[in-house]
Amino acid sequence: MDLSLSTRTVGDRTIVEVGGEIDVYTAPKLREQLVELVNDGSYHLVVDMEGVDFLDSTGLGVLVGGLKRVRAHEGSLRLVCNQERILKIFRITGLTKVFPIHTSVDEAVAATD
Amino acid sequence: MCAAKRGTERPSATEPGAETTAPAPGAGAPALNLPRQRQDTADGPPALNLLVVGDDPTGVFTAPWFQDGGGPRIRVLRAGNLTAAGRLLTDDVHCILLDLPDVLDGVRHVLRVAPGTAVLVLTDGTDDGGAAAAEAVRVGAQDHLARAEVDAATVTRAVRYAVERKRADLALRKLTETRLLAQENRRLERGLLPTPLLEGADLRFAAHYRPGRSRALLGGDFYDAVRTSDGVVHAMIGDVCGHGPDAAALGVELRIAWRALTFAGLGGDTLLRTMQQVLVHERADDEIFATLCTIDIAPDGRDAGLYLAGHPAPLLAGPGRVPRLLPPEDGGPALGLLPDALSVWQRVPVDLDGEWRLMLYTDGLIEGRVGAGTQRLEQDGMVRLVSRLLAAGLHGDALLDAAVTEVRELNGGELTDDVAVVLLERTGLQP
Repeated sequence: MDLSLSTRTVGDRTIVEVGGEIDVYTAPKLREQLVELVNDGSYHLVVDMEGVDFLDSTGLGVLVGGLKRVRAHEGSLRLVCNQERILKIFRITGLTKVFPIHTSVDEAVAATD
Repeated sequence: MCAAKRGTERPSATEPGAETTAPAPGAGAPALNLPRQRQDTADGPPALNLLVVGDDPTGVFTAPWFQDGGGPRIRVLRAGNLTAAGRLLTDDVHCILLDLPDVLDGVRHVLRVAPGTAVLVLTDGTDDGGAAAAEAVRVGAQDHLARAEVDAATVTRAVRYAVERKRADLALRKLTETRLLAQENRRLERGLLPTPLLEGADLRFAAHYRPGRSRALLGGDFYDAVRTSDGVVHAMIGDVCGHGPDAAALGVELRIAWRALTFAGLGGDTLLRTMQQVLVHERADDEIFATLCTIDIAPDGRDAGLYLAGHPAPLLAGPGRVPRLLPPEDGGPALGLLPDALSVWQRVPVDLDGEWRLMLYTDGLIEGRVGAGTQRLEQDGMVRLVSRLLAAGLHGDALLDAAVTEVRELNGGELTDDVAVVLLERTGLQP
């Protein structure tokens, strides 16, 4: 199982589309992608998790690390997720209070709170 | 083990201080561009590349190669000094021969820049030179040979021997490092998985821990259980996100902090807040957080208080009751995620009543695969699995062993993540 990543920009937002499984083996790839985006000056990220089949605590750590990085530049990291089993992980760990979670990329891009 | 890092820069034909007797394929082309394990010529035997470093005052290494018998022949590359040698040191160099005034410094330098390459030293045959050569072998050279003895047979044999011996040394070192890592992991495991201190408590304790697929990725699962002097039994299970020795070491620290704070009389929100402070100060980077489930059981064993910090809820079972998860998702955040002001952990009262079994676990138990697709066991699957084992009459260690074994089998082999499971039981009470 592997992780797929693709990025595109919509206005000042960078959409990171993630597919596959984010676990201890693949999480470093996602971390590199987020670090690279921030280093290149993309501070408003939308991580689209709709294609994610699995997310473990290492993956959660990478998302938290990404959020801390963009916040250091007054940026934002929004998630797009409708999958109950992934949402449940965010609820259990308390990350719903950390990440704005949206039902669509359009909604995340339009959000300004 | 770190791979040897070496400059890959190829010398140009005009590189000052670096000369090579390898034939240049054409004017302006790099003078040396040998692939690894290159076959020397279409019909010749494979060659070992020997880099001779030094002035070579007597000109014994002017020949482009040495050959003796049918084994690999020795191709000679030459560099006037260590700086020039650095430019020629590619992965294609199998052995380095040092012919330098301060040979010990030379050996140390070469071992630093090319830790995977065999090293020979050339001596001038004097007593002082012999002593220096012996010392060179002690600090890491494979062998030494005397200038007067240099001929095709000696050089060929010395280089082949040195290369083989270096391979053996590296293999041994790798084995030792693997053993040390395993010992280190075992030490950390012992710190993560203590003996519970439950003397006088009217309940039974069982625990099961299994490291994940890769021993090198020892996780940060930890648990503990203690009884304080007021008769309350405190049990805890937690998980530091991430893997490796840093996560495991942090897990040990958190477990010991929990035990110390519990004995000091702290509990609930205050304890979690203090644990969060410890974590924030001790973690290696901002990504790290930890989940924790802690439960305090009243001395009479009839009720308890549960706190969840980002951790999956425990399973409650017992004679005559359907196994169920305790309040599923209304816990507080994992430790280290939110600033103190936003971190709130609520006590969830649990009515235990009579006889019961309480199972605490880490996410390794619910994240295993089910079949070849993307499906995972998850909490619901785990509850069904454990219910079935309970219905079959299993309890204590046997229950935990069977549950973890079955989760592994469903996963189709060793789980990626660590698994820790703790079982507290209060059953078989005298009327």
